[in-house]
Amino acid sequence: MTTTTAGGGVRARRPRALPLRYVVRKTVTAFGTLVFVVIVNFFLFRVLPGDPAKAFSPRGRNADPNRLAEIRRDLGLGLPWHEQFWAYVKNLASFDLGVSWGQHAPVSRLIGERLWPTVLLSGTALLLAAGIGMWLGARAGWRHGSRLDRVSSSGAVTLYSTPEWLLGLVLLIVLSDLGVIPAAGMQNPLSELPPALDIAWHMVAPVTVLAVVYIAEYSLIMRSSMLDERYADYLTTARAKGLRDDLVMRRHALPNALLPSITLFFLTLGFVVSGAIGVETVFNWPGLGRLTYDALRGPDVPLLQGLFLTFSAGVILMNLVADLLYPLLDPRVRAS
Amino acid sequence: MKTARSIAWARRRVALGAFWQGYRRDREGLFGLVVLVVFATVAIAAPLLADAEGLSLTKATGPRLAPPSLAYPFGTDEDGRSVLTEVIWGSRISLLVGLAATVISMVIGTLVGIGSGHFRGVGGGLLGRLTEWFLVIPYLPLAIVLATVFPPDVPRIIAVIIVIGVTSWSGTARLIRAQTLSIEERPYLERARALGGGHWHQMSRHILPNVMPLVLANTTLTVSIAILAETTLSFLGLGDPLRMSWGKILDNAYSGDVITSGAWWWALFPGLAVVLVVRAFNMCGRAIERVLDPRLRELA
Amino acid sequence: MISPARRLALAVTAALAALVLPAVPALAEDTPSPSAKTTFVLGIKQDIDSLNPYVGVVASAYEAYQLMYDYLTGSSEKDFSPVPGLAESWETSADGKTWTYHIRKGVKWSDGQDLTAKDVVYSFQRAIDGDTENGQYGNYVANITKVSATNDYTVVMETSEPSPSMLRLLVPILPEHTWSKVSGEDVGTFANDNAPVGSGPFKLVEAKKGQSYRFEANKQYWAGAPKIDELIIRVYADDAPLAQALRTSEVHMVNDISASVFESLMNQPNITTSDSKYSGFTELAYNVGAATVDGKAIGNGHPALKDKRVRLAIDHALDRNVLLDKVLRNHGTIASGVIPPIYADWHWNPGSAARAFDVAKANELLDQAGYPKGAGGVRAGPDGKKLEFRLFGRESSETSKKNVEYIRDWLKEIGITVTVSIMSEDQLTAVIGEGEYDMFEWGWVVEPDPDFQLSVFSCGQRSTEDGGEISAGWSDSFYCDESYDALYEKQKTILDPAARTAVIKEAQQHLYDNAVYSVLYYYNNFEAYRSDKFTGFVHQPSNGGSLVFQYGTYTYRNIAPVTNQTAQKRSLGGIALVIGVGAGLIALAGVAVVLFSRRRRVTADERE
Repeated sequence: MTTTTAGGGVRARRPRALPLRYVVRKTVTAFGTLVFVVIVNFFLFRVLPGDPAKAFSPRGRNADPNRLAEIRRDLGLGLPWHEQFWAYVKNLASFDLGVSWGQHAPVSRLIGERLWPTVLLSGTALLLAAGIGMWLGARAGWRHGSRLDRVSSSGAVTLYSTPEWLLGLVLLIVLSDLGVIPAAGMQNPLSELPPALDIAWHMVAPVTVLAVVYIAEYSLIMRSSMLDERYADYLTTARAKGLRDDLVMRRHALPNALLPSITLFFLTLGFVVSGAIGVETVFNWPGLGRLTYDALRGPDVPLLQGLFLTFSAGVILMNLVADLLYPLLDPRVRAS
Repeated sequence: MKTARSIAWARRRVALGAFWQGYRRDREGLFGLVVLVVFATVAIAAPLLADAEGLSLTKATGPRLAPPSLAYPFGTDEDGRSVLTEVIWGSRISLLVGLAATVISMVIGTLVGIGSGHFRGVGGGLLGRLTEWFLVIPYLPLAIVLATVFPPDVPRIIAVIIVIGVTSWSGTARLIRAQTLSIEERPYLERARALGGGHWHQMSRHILPNVMPLVLANTTLTVSIAILAETTLSFLGLGDPLRMSWGKILDNAYSGDVITSGAWWWALFPGLAVVLVVRAFNMCGRAIERVLDPRLRELA
Repeated sequence: MISPARRLALAVTAALAALVLPAVPALAEDTPSPSAKTTFVLGIKQDIDSLNPYVGVVASAYEAYQLMYDYLTGSSEKDFSPVPGLAESWETSADGKTWTYHIRKGVKWSDGQDLTAKDVVYSFQRAIDGDTENGQYGNYVANITKVSATNDYTVVMETSEPSPSMLRLLVPILPEHTWSKVSGEDVGTFANDNAPVGSGPFKLVEAKKGQSYRFEANKQYWAGAPKIDELIIRVYADDAPLAQALRTSEVHMVNDISASVFESLMNQPNITTSDSKYSGFTELAYNVGAATVDGKAIGNGHPALKDKRVRLAIDHALDRNVLLDKVLRNHGTIASGVIPPIYADWHWNPGSAARAFDVAKANELLDQAGYPKGAGGVRAGPDGKKLEFRLFGRESSETSKKNVEYIRDWLKEIGITVTVSIMSEDQLTAVIGEGEYDMFEWGWVVEPDPDFQLSVFSCGQRSTEDGGEISAGWSDSFYCDESYDALYEKQKTILDPAARTAVIKEAQQHLYDNAVYSVLYYYNNFEAYRSDKFTGFVHQPSNGGSLVFQYGTYTYRNIAPVTNQTAQKRSLGGIALVIGVGAGLIALAGVAVVLFSRRRRVTADERE
């Protein structure tokens, strides 16, 4: 249902309105997935040996047994599981994620403090990667078989086969002695640079590492959808009309190839989360990823539970955004 | 007399032959295959190539953190063990975990995919829902959570295999579901039903053989994901602490201050091994896709 | 008519510009003029788990409490002997059960109020009464029956027995006027990170968990103002960035780094390393017979370990020199007793009677004890049960993971099969409390007063059972011996140091002769600092002890900058940053140009 006019290209559209039923349906589905995650989260950790009462007794080894029993009663640990589950859900609704065993602080506070550095790091890397990756993939896909295509695809497959943190590790080994990049962390309290600049300086290496691997992934995705478009029938018409090659790509193929890529962008956000954990660990970036690595020492069960929930909720939200955006962008799709 | 069964098998053999012909011509695929054969040989022949005692702390006699040399082609780690020995023996665990986890993932993914595509109603719908849920949940946090709650009595290596298998099946399931749905439309399936074929018969005799090519292509890609997952989990310290795998070497290196000591060989060689193997699997997967998809083949 | 592609490009450019452009005017400014104040930055590896003195358990937390608060008495920097703190002087009654402390006058809290006996009484009373508080400081106040203030500057404490540890009460004195607002229920999660009021040499100004903690010097400190103006404690999760930070002067001192990082810092210009003697030891611990304080057996330890000869045999089979060489790389000394040599007064050394590494002797002992080698080289007892032990190591410690591997290989030589498991410290604590282990590797950091360390081996510190629930005490050997308990109780109440020392040494010998632990080594603490920036570091004890994480804040109060340093103008890093940001902007512009200007495109030969 593409509309092509004499001038070629996809006409600018009035912002489309999404049918309410569609929005509601997608939101409900997303909520359903969240419910599933909450249930998994609850039951999974019931299996784990360990004592939640530990969070409240400063020295687990020396706690007064009476006090421990009292804490357990307060936490409702003796109750039947459905009551515990209900209490858990109620706490979730008020953003109470429990108390961290290792850091003796409310989990929601810890997560709140570390959310921004992760968003900053991953968000920047994603934006860069999406922009560069999609451009590269589009060119490579359009010039299928050309040197650019072969080299960039080959490079992309290699990068795609590399764990992000491994790149970071090797980079650090090679560069750390030279002092070219800061050793670790997000800020240097001694630095004379204004904070924003100091943070940006610390961001260069981890963002580069993350972006490089994502560029590979997005370029491959973009390339394959561009390939799908390249040989499509409707383009033959455009070429027959005498349109120049690059215009054919830009006005016809690219927009259509872009659409699945944009939605895939949101859908691959799960990998972003996974990548952040490794990279933040290696670069000591004080975000949720590093918090996860630290929580594994212990293991700090309430913190891990909270982090799992946060990561999943984030990805579910992004997927919902993708679902809602897609029909707005693609005239071919009826939001049914 | 030729039975329907033997006719079907004859046809499949011809298809297999054609597939191999096509694959042989694919340069990328061949290269990947060669690399995999090399690594498989190294893993199987590990006892012949490197002394197992070289992994033991008490028996390590090499110099600490020595750069690559004739005596130690990959250098040594901080305990004086040869990194080459570690990489050779590590290939066993990394490949084993990768393959075993893939088996689990493919079995679950195929069953759920076919099931959700074939069965209408509540059963299929539920399986479909399950697939969607697992697709959305980010894999590493889920793997971390599962690895943490595994009972400590289970040997860690089994735990890791199960964890990876259970977290990576959803992509496969979705693909197979889509394929199953398209197969469901085909006339011969209707005929099979009319002839009284039950669900099991339909799924195993008709659907399964037809999704097999897709499963195959997907398997290689799943293995590469599984090996990456094992490496990452070991690096984070969730792997088996007593067995050497490539991820474990990297974990040792990171905890052993490889960055400060600048002992690049300690991280580079196991890292290269991971990248090479995973890339090889990816190359094979892309080649299989090209051979199976006639449209892509034209473009090659 | 903006295509989606262009829209995307615009969005990306806008996002990046929003991030980077605000920095451009900042770059154009001059660098801010260097402030005149001196700042000392300490890099640590373990984050302060809580700034609340009733909650934190890690060493860095205790360091922070020492900075913020005062104690009644302190430990001398020369030899740990008690010195006056907030208590200027003290008296003991003849029966040793009443202690009178005279509180220093003129000490002020950081909010200007006076510190009086009322605050001291409040702090101790809270430690006695509060559940959470007592869990933290219980072993210091267990003996105290009554604490009261007879006037504004005198505190009297009554104890049930004479107790020498009354001069080592490491209970921080907190201001009653702020802490009375924190209830017993809230104290467990109270963060105490918002400009807490204290009387110590430093005041907490800013806390960024996991990153850095900023303290301002208390220029009115009663023991003399610190010479520096500001102290920042920066948290690094790993050794590599910590060492790097020291090399680039991002931090001025590092503590508790690993051996390999320490060695990479030795002989570096402008860096002084200190292989400091430390108060810790590492041991191989045995399950000597897990039972509760009521004598009820718990867990599933191997019965053979109850036999002293088996433990002695194992001890003979451990080649401590190899551990010292390979694992510690000679940064430590071989150990025998549980009080490290840093406490010169209390430390006991077996001298020539020390057990040697002797595999033949080990085999002999096991044969004598009735565990002959069977087929396959594994020993078995009279009941046919093989000597197969579980050995647990700790996930968080690299040396632990190595030690257990060595031990496993050595025990194989004498016919004992060892299965190694690595687990987290929390899990190990739980396992020990339930008695479900045979051996494990861990360590202790010993306080200046040996009472607590010796108590760990007494019958009373074993697990307790309450309504089916087993709670761990401090004992991780489950050793229970009447004669040892007698020694322990005796030293608890002797006030005369010389007499007490004799009993303490006897106690150490008892533990050694019975191989309750196989103490492996005393490890050193690795510290390094920039000698070109600061001077005046104080060792505790003076012959090569630790510089920081001491029992006291001597170093922090004594260090001063080497010269009057002006802050560097536009460091190399800054230049690199400018280049980097500039390059980034150019690259961005490049991408934008390419995306937007497709008009001038060579045509014919670009087609497929």
